[in-house]
Amino acid sequence: MPITRRGTLALPALALAAGPAAAQGAPVKVGVLLPLTGNAASAGNSARAAIELATELVNTPHPELASMPLMATAGLPNLGGRKLEAVFADNQGNPSVGQNQALRLITQERVVGLTNGYQSSVALTASAVAERYGIPYVNGESVATNLTERGFKWFFRTTPIGPDIARVYLDFIEEQQKQGRPVGKIAIVHENTEYGTSIADTIAKEAEARGRQIGLRIAYSANSADVSPQVLQMKDAQPDVAIFISYTSDAILYMRTMRAQGYKPPILIGDDSGFSDDSFIQTVGDISQGVINRSAFDASRPGSNSNKINALYKAKTGREMDDTTARMMQGYLVMADAINRAGSTDPAKIQAALRATDLKPDQLMIGYRGVRFNEKGQNVLASALLVQLRGKEYVSVWPEDQASAPLELPFKGWS
Amino acid sequence: MAMTASRGAWGRGVAVLGVLAVLALAALLPFALQDVFHQRIAALVLLAAISASAWNLIGGYAGQVSIGHAVFFGVGAYSALLGYTLFEWPPIAGAPFGILISLVFATIIGLPTFRLRGHYFSMATIAAAELVRILVVNWPLVGGAVGLMGPAVPRSTLDLSFTSPRPYYWTFLGTLTALLLVTHWMSRSRMGFYLRAIKGQERAARSLGVPVQRYKYYALLLSAGFTSLAGSLYALMVGFVDPDSGFGILISVRMVIITALGGVGTLFGPLAGAVILVPLEEWTNATFGGAGTGITYVVYGFVIMLISRFAPGGLAELWRRLQAAGRRHAA
Repeated sequence: MPITRRGTLALPALALAAGPAAAQGAPVKVGVLLPLTGNAASAGNSARAAIELATELVNTPHPELASMPLMATAGLPNLGGRKLEAVFADNQGNPSVGQNQALRLITQERVVGLTNGYQSSVALTASAVAERYGIPYVNGESVATNLTERGFKWFFRTTPIGPDIARVYLDFIEEQQKQGRPVGKIAIVHENTEYGTSIADTIAKEAEARGRQIGLRIAYSANSADVSPQVLQMKDAQPDVAIFISYTSDAILYMRTMRAQGYKPPILIGDDSGFSDDSFIQTVGDISQGVINRSAFDASRPGSNSNKINALYKAKTGREMDDTTARMMQGYLVMADAINRAGSTDPAKIQAALRATDLKPDQLMIGYRGVRFNEKGQNVLASALLVQLRGKEYVSVWPEDQASAPLELPFKGWS
Repeated sequence: MAMTASRGAWGRGVAVLGVLAVLALAALLPFALQDVFHQRIAALVLLAAISASAWNLIGGYAGQVSIGHAVFFGVGAYSALLGYTLFEWPPIAGAPFGILISLVFATIIGLPTFRLRGHYFSMATIAAAELVRILVVNWPLVGGAVGLMGPAVPRSTLDLSFTSPRPYYWTFLGTLTALLLVTHWMSRSRMGFYLRAIKGQERAARSLGVPVQRYKYYALLLSAGFTSLAGSLYALMVGFVDPDSGFGILISVRMVIITALGGVGTLFGPLAGAVILVPLEEWTNATFGGAGTGITYVVYGFVIMLISRFAPGGLAELWRRLQAAGRRHAA
């Protein structure tokens, strides 16, 4: 039976782990669930490289990153310098496999905590296992709101979610109003499946709570071949701010149609997804100058932690770090910091340390306002920055204290 | 004459005792497996065996290769969690509704598609399953693209939500036993003979007066009902379903592969296939998965390739061949 053979195979591994433990302390294991095969394999493998980098940075001294916890020292100082070890498991993007792997990491690998998951569905099922076994779980990337609405005691999430994103947009709009720009009429144009609808709803709700009205709301199908009716509708209504929640091909189509109709809203915001896609920038970048987009990771400011981490990542992989990978790496680093502050591998102590987490912006590698969890386990300081398209790249423009270039309004589009 | 009859009765007695002994051993297995991960794999083996055995009724015995059984699996899984989402029922309370809906679906899908033969039938079932998947993705009431989740923490024992895999294992074992008893009874009944005739040569069966459409329909009903139950049990254990994990084509394909591996149209074939394939999946993933190289699927595919090259009839055929070789050796 393969089952029993598995058991005997595990024995030498255990003996091996016990050996160095007596000498200097075995590595502290953290289980990392990623989609290393399947649809999202490329995201999973980017994250794997980032988490390997994070582990390396924790385990070796990096004085240049000293503002971040655990970077200047080698290993986990409060645990006698024990090394950190990431145990990767492939969740294959499947909620059931994610659950199996969470169970395996907890019961066989004896990890002290779990991180990541990527797909919200996998994070959902895997964290249910962690909850029952009383093992802390830090997720840095999954945005489904219900993950932190289940009353779990062991689940923590660092990424901004719908309401955070809505807050960023409205803060930005209110600030533009203070500077004398008209922002009375807001239009939301969104694709009509889960992503577009839920983000649009959240923005509308936040706007209402602040006594603002969404003057125009246009839902459309992301695979439609023609969006001129929608653009004409906007041209008619003349909104001061237009927020697009779109995938790639439709974002491209909107820019082309607006160019053809000669219409540009004074402030044009594109919500991450389609507007962040490299093919958007390559195909319609030259007629989309000044599009405002959101991102939590901005590597463009020299000397910032993000900039240094991006350089290290690029040296390791040859690629730039993207927003999602950065959020995943930050989640893992928050777990490492909590284990160190707990000074113990006891899950309950790590849970307590996570609850007490209070990281400042300069202790992070990403542009959050900090990391502090509420009673649901959601990071209340999660935020995104706004970036603006200049030439072929996005530069950070808002909030001002994190900006690398000045905001340019109104939306320029094409010249 | 008298001697053969008594030997037959004696032989049957031994067979029944043997099956009971195996069942008793199977029931005690979770005590032998101390590690919860291994217990969970054992439970997953039984779960896979249930859906593959259910598929075997129509795909194996009747020879109608459906690659759309995910429809019934998904309906079962969704019914269990929809009852919870809408009315806060314990998930298991949704299972009977899942079975009912699956029977309706089987009727809607079966009646037109049974006129098709061979791979045309398979293609039609794929299309039906994909259609349902796409509808579910775009239907907010059933969770749309996001899916449905079960009770996050068990509210009472009625939720059948356990930390230990053992209760699941026993639930699955009971279900599988019932399913195999039904299958055994069916294969011995008139229906079993009719189905074998249909599988052998549908036109010949029809000319001999076998009510072909009707018996194919009966087999599909039986198959759909148990597949739906497997889906509900899956939802019970995992506590979450989304369009891909409920209605995805891989769910259907897996039932076919497991049955083919163990032996199509044999009583214990699907179980044998699951005993090999599920631990193989878990072992390859646990051993190679973390490296992120995709070697999991290379090893997995290679084993399936070996079996289809050397034992296309599955393990059941291999077993028969070994027996035959043993007899030759003895003689």
